[in-house]
Amino acid sequence: MSMLEQAHRINQRYRAFNHVAESLEAEGGGRLAGFHVSVKDNVCVKGMPSTAGSKVLEGYTPPFDATVVAKCRLEGAAILGKTAQDEFGFGTFNVNTPYSIPLNPHDTGRSPGGSSGGAAVVTAVADFPHLAIAESTGGSISCPASFCGVVGVTPTYGRTSRWGLIDYANSLDKIGCMGKTVRDAALLLSVISGPDRYDSTVLHAPVEDYGAQAGEPVEGLRVGVPKEYFGEGVDQGVSDVVWGGVKRLEDQGAEVREVSLPFTRYSLSSYYIIAMAEASTNLAKYCGLRYGLQLPLVGSFDEYFSAVRSVGFGDEAKRRIILGTYARMAGYRDAYYLKALKVRTRVIEDFRRVYRDVDVLAAPTMPVVAPRFDEIADMEPIQHYMMDILTVAPNLAGVPMVSVPCGESHGMPVGLHIMADYLGEGDMIRAATAAEAS
Amino acid sequence: MEATIGLEVHVRLRTASKLFCGCSTDSSDAEPNANTCPICLGYPGSKPMVNKKAVEHGIRVAKALNCGLASMVRFSRKSYFYPDMPKNYQITQYEVPLAEGGYLTVNDDRIRIRRVHLEEDPARLVHVGGDITSSRYNLIDYNRSGVPLAEIVTEPDIGDTKEARLFLEKLGVMLDHLGVYDPHAEGSLRVDANVSVEGGSRVEVKNITGFRNVEKALNFEVVRQLSMSRMGIDVTRETRHFDSETGSTSSLRSKEQEEDYGYIIEPDLVRINLSPGWVEEIAATMPELPDQRTRRLVEQYGVSGFQADVIVNSGLEMSGFYEECCRLYGEAETVANWLVTYLLKSLNYMGLSLRESGVKPETFVELLTLIDEGVISERTAKELIKDYAASGESPRRIVEEKGLALMDMDELRAVVGEVVSENSKAVEDYLGGTGKASEYLLGQVLRRVKARADPNTVRKIIMDMLDSKGEYASVAQ
Amino acid sequence: MAEAARLNLTDEELERYQKQLKVILEAFRMLDEVDTEGVEPSFHPIELEDVLRDDEPSRWSWDPLANSMHKEDGYFRGPRIQ
Repeated sequence: MSMLEQAHRINQRYRAFNHVAESLEAEGGGRLAGFHVSVKDNVCVKGMPSTAGSKVLEGYTPPFDATVVAKCRLEGAAILGKTAQDEFGFGTFNVNTPYSIPLNPHDTGRSPGGSSGGAAVVTAVADFPHLAIAESTGGSISCPASFCGVVGVTPTYGRTSRWGLIDYANSLDKIGCMGKTVRDAALLLSVISGPDRYDSTVLHAPVEDYGAQAGEPVEGLRVGVPKEYFGEGVDQGVSDVVWGGVKRLEDQGAEVREVSLPFTRYSLSSYYIIAMAEASTNLAKYCGLRYGLQLPLVGSFDEYFSAVRSVGFGDEAKRRIILGTYARMAGYRDAYYLKALKVRTRVIEDFRRVYRDVDVLAAPTMPVVAPRFDEIADMEPIQHYMMDILTVAPNLAGVPMVSVPCGESHGMPVGLHIMADYLGEGDMIRAATAAEAS
Repeated sequence: MEATIGLEVHVRLRTASKLFCGCSTDSSDAEPNANTCPICLGYPGSKPMVNKKAVEHGIRVAKALNCGLASMVRFSRKSYFYPDMPKNYQITQYEVPLAEGGYLTVNDDRIRIRRVHLEEDPARLVHVGGDITSSRYNLIDYNRSGVPLAEIVTEPDIGDTKEARLFLEKLGVMLDHLGVYDPHAEGSLRVDANVSVEGGSRVEVKNITGFRNVEKALNFEVVRQLSMSRMGIDVTRETRHFDSETGSTSSLRSKEQEEDYGYIIEPDLVRINLSPGWVEEIAATMPELPDQRTRRLVEQYGVSGFQADVIVNSGLEMSGFYEECCRLYGEAETVANWLVTYLLKSLNYMGLSLRESGVKPETFVELLTLIDEGVISERTAKELIKDYAASGESPRRIVEEKGLALMDMDELRAVVGEVVSENSKAVEDYLGGTGKASEYLLGQVLRRVKARADPNTVRKIIMDMLDSKGEYASVAQ
Repeated sequence: MAEAARLNLTDEELERYQKQLKVILEAFRMLDEVDTEGVEPSFHPIELEDVLRDDEPSRWSWDPLANSMHKEDGYFRGPRIQ
C-alpha cells in the first residue's frame, strides 16, 4: 500500500485529516529524507487548503509555506496532509470543529485530546516514518500527546518561527512536534527551530542537535516535582503512573525533590484572559473579504461582515471572541487584560526562581485520561477550560515542555510532563528519553 | 472665523518600503494591488516587521516639533471594522507614543502638539455608484495599505479657521524641509479636524485633503454650529464627512459614545529602544529647518526678514531656487525683490507651484540680466514676468517674439520728434505755461512705443526737445 | 458586545452564552486575589528588543486576488458603507 493510501486508510478509520495530500513530493536528501510530515491545519502549506479547523477559512489555499514547513521541505520531507484540530486551537478535546473530529486510536469512543488531535492520532497509528508538526497555545500539543500515548514537544516560545501559523494568541502560540519516540520528535525539533526574519518574536540562540541529547545519561540531573500539580483535581490512577515515571528517572541517577509554584492556581485565568484578548483581535480579519468563506456581497459592510462571521464561527469561537473583546474594553481592560499580564509576570517569576534549584520539572500532563465523547458533551465550557490546569502555566510562561508516555491507567495512555527552563530543550529531551516507558 | 479647533494630521512618510512589510510605497504608476504581499493584505499567518527608516523619520518629526521623545516605544492594535482595513485592526501606537508635548509657532501663537506617533495607512476605497454614503459597493486597492504614517495631534489651541490653514502650511513646509514627506504626492497629508464653538459639543470632520479644503470645511462647520446654537438647538457630538464639491459637511456616524477600540499591545512586535546614541545620530544629521533657514537667508544674503520668511514659507523648492539664483546672478537683494514682489505674485495668482510653472534659476536670472543690459525696461519686465511665470520660456525669446526690446535712442528720438511735430498745439500750450501738456505728449509717445521705452527716458527726451524749442523760440523772438 | 465583534447572535445563543460567560467571568475574578502592586505586565514570555528591518523594497510575485470571490478590474470588491 502506498503512503497516500495508508494515509487515507487512517483517515477513514480515525478521521485524523482535514486534507490528505494529492501527491507526495520530496526533494533531495537531508535530515528528513524518507519521512512524511503531517501538518496541523493552522500551519500554512502552499497550495493545500488551510482551514485552522474553521468554516470561516473554508476553501482558503495559502500562497506561501509557513517557515517551519519550508524548513522541512529543504531537509527532504514529503508533506503528507493537514491534520484535524479544534477551530483555531480553541479546545482541549478536538470536538470544536465543523470538520473531522478525530477518534482516539486506543478507544474510538474517546477523545484524542486537543487542539492538535489529528496530529496525535496520525502519530500514534502510522507505521511508516512519520512526524507531525503541531501547535500549542495552552497545551494543545501536550494534551493530545498524553491522551494518545505519543511524544509531544512544545519548545521555548520563539524557538520556532510563527510565520505562516494562523494565529490564536500571538504571545502564547508555539509550533512544535510529535513523534512516536522522543528521538523522533527531537529530530524534527532541530529542523524546525531557528531564526527567521519574517517573525520579530523569534529567538536567535543557536539551534542544537536535540536528537543527540536523547539517550544521554541523567545522572545528577535535578528534577523538581511541583506539589501544586498533584493536588485534588488529579485522578489517582494517573498520579500513580506518573510517579512511576519519576521513579524511573530517580533509578537512573536523577535527583528528585519537591518544589512549589505558588502562582499555578492563577495561571488558568491569566492564560485565558490574555489568550482570548489576543484571539479576539486575530479573528477580526475573517470577514468574508480577500480569502476564506465569502457570501454574496449584499448589505452594508456591518451587515455583510456579521453575516459571514455568524455562519463561519462555531460556538466556542464566538464565546472567546466575546470574552476577549470584553477583556479589552475601556473600563474592564485594567481589571482583566492588564491584570492578567501582571499575573503572568508572577507565573514567569515562579518558574525562573524554581529553575535556580532544579534543571527540569516533572508532573502529570493531564489530570485525567482521555474522556469519553458523551462525557464531554455534558461538560460546561468552564469544565473544558479546567482540563488545561496542568499545561497552562508552562505555556503561559513560555518554557519548553515535552509530554512522554509513561504507562496506562484505566486502559488509556498517561503522559508525563517534563518542563525545562528557557532554551533548556536539551535537558528536557534527555530526561524525557530516560523516563520513556519501554 | 473664531472657534476652538484641534487637528489630527496624518502624514505619509517618505520611505521606500511600507511600515511593516517590504512592499514599495511608490504606487503612482502602479496597477491596483500591484504593491502588495500577504502582510499588508492581512493574510492569515502573516506577521509585521518594523521599518527602521520610518522610525527615524518619526524621530525627526518629533524633534522638529520640539517634542519630548519616549525612551522606548511599543506598537498597539486598534480594533475596528471597516472595508479598508486588511486586519480589522490597525497597528498604531497608543500606550507608548513616539513623542509628546511639543509645539509649532504660527504668527507668534504657540500651537501645542499633544503627541506624535507612527501607524499604518489603510487601503484605498473607490466608491462605486455614489459617494461614501450612497455608493452601491466599493472597490478596494491595497497599494496604500501599510504605508507609514506619522500622526501629529494638536491641542485645541487653534483659535480660528484661518489659523488652522496657516498652521498646516507651516507644518507642511517643515515636513518638506525634513525630507520626510513629498508635498506633491496626492493625499500625502490628510487632516481630521475637531471643532466646537462657544463651548458647545465637539464635532469631528474626517479625512480632509488639502489645506484650503480644511479652511473651507471648518468655515462651513463654524457657521453650521453657530446657526444651530442661535436657534437654541444643541450641536450633536458626531463625526462628519467633508464634500469638497459642495463645500459642506454631512453626518457620518453619531459619536455619542467614543468608539471602543479595545487596545492591546501588538503581540507580534517587540519594544524598540530609542537609545540616546541613535537619537543623537539623527539629531546631528537633521536638515536645516525653516526657521533656521529664514535666519540664515537674512544673515547670508542681507534680505529683509519679511522676504526671507516669504521665500522659506513658499516651500523647500522656492528657497533652493532663490539660493541658486543668487549664486548665478550675485545681487541677492535684487533677486529677492523681483522674486518676492513679482514672480511669486504671478505664480500665486495663477495657482502654480514652482515646479508646475517650469521657471528655472537660469531663466529667471536671464530676466534680470535683460534689465541690466538695458534691453528691456523694468516696466516691461514686470509685465513680461506674467508670461514667463506661466510658460517658463526663456525671457530673451519672449522679448524677441513679442518685440519687447527697448528701442535704441536714435529710433526713440525720431518717434518723439514725430509726435512733437504732429502735436504743435500741445507744444504751444507747454511753452505757454501749461505743464500738463508734456504729459499729454508723453502719453502719445508711449502709445506708439508701448513697452519698448522706459517712460522716464521718454519724458527726458520730450523735455529736452521742448526746452530746446523754447530756447529756439526765445532766441527766435 | 456581540455587535461590536460583528457577530449576529440568535436569541437562543444570546441566552445560552450569557449564562456560560457569567460563570467564566466569575472564575476569572480570582485574579483579584493576586498582589500585583509594582509588577510590570509581561507582553511576551521573553522580552526581545529592537527587531528592525532595513528600508529596502522587495516584491512578492503572486496573485493577491486568487483567494477572492469578489473582484473587478484588479480591485477587490467590498460591501457598501451604509
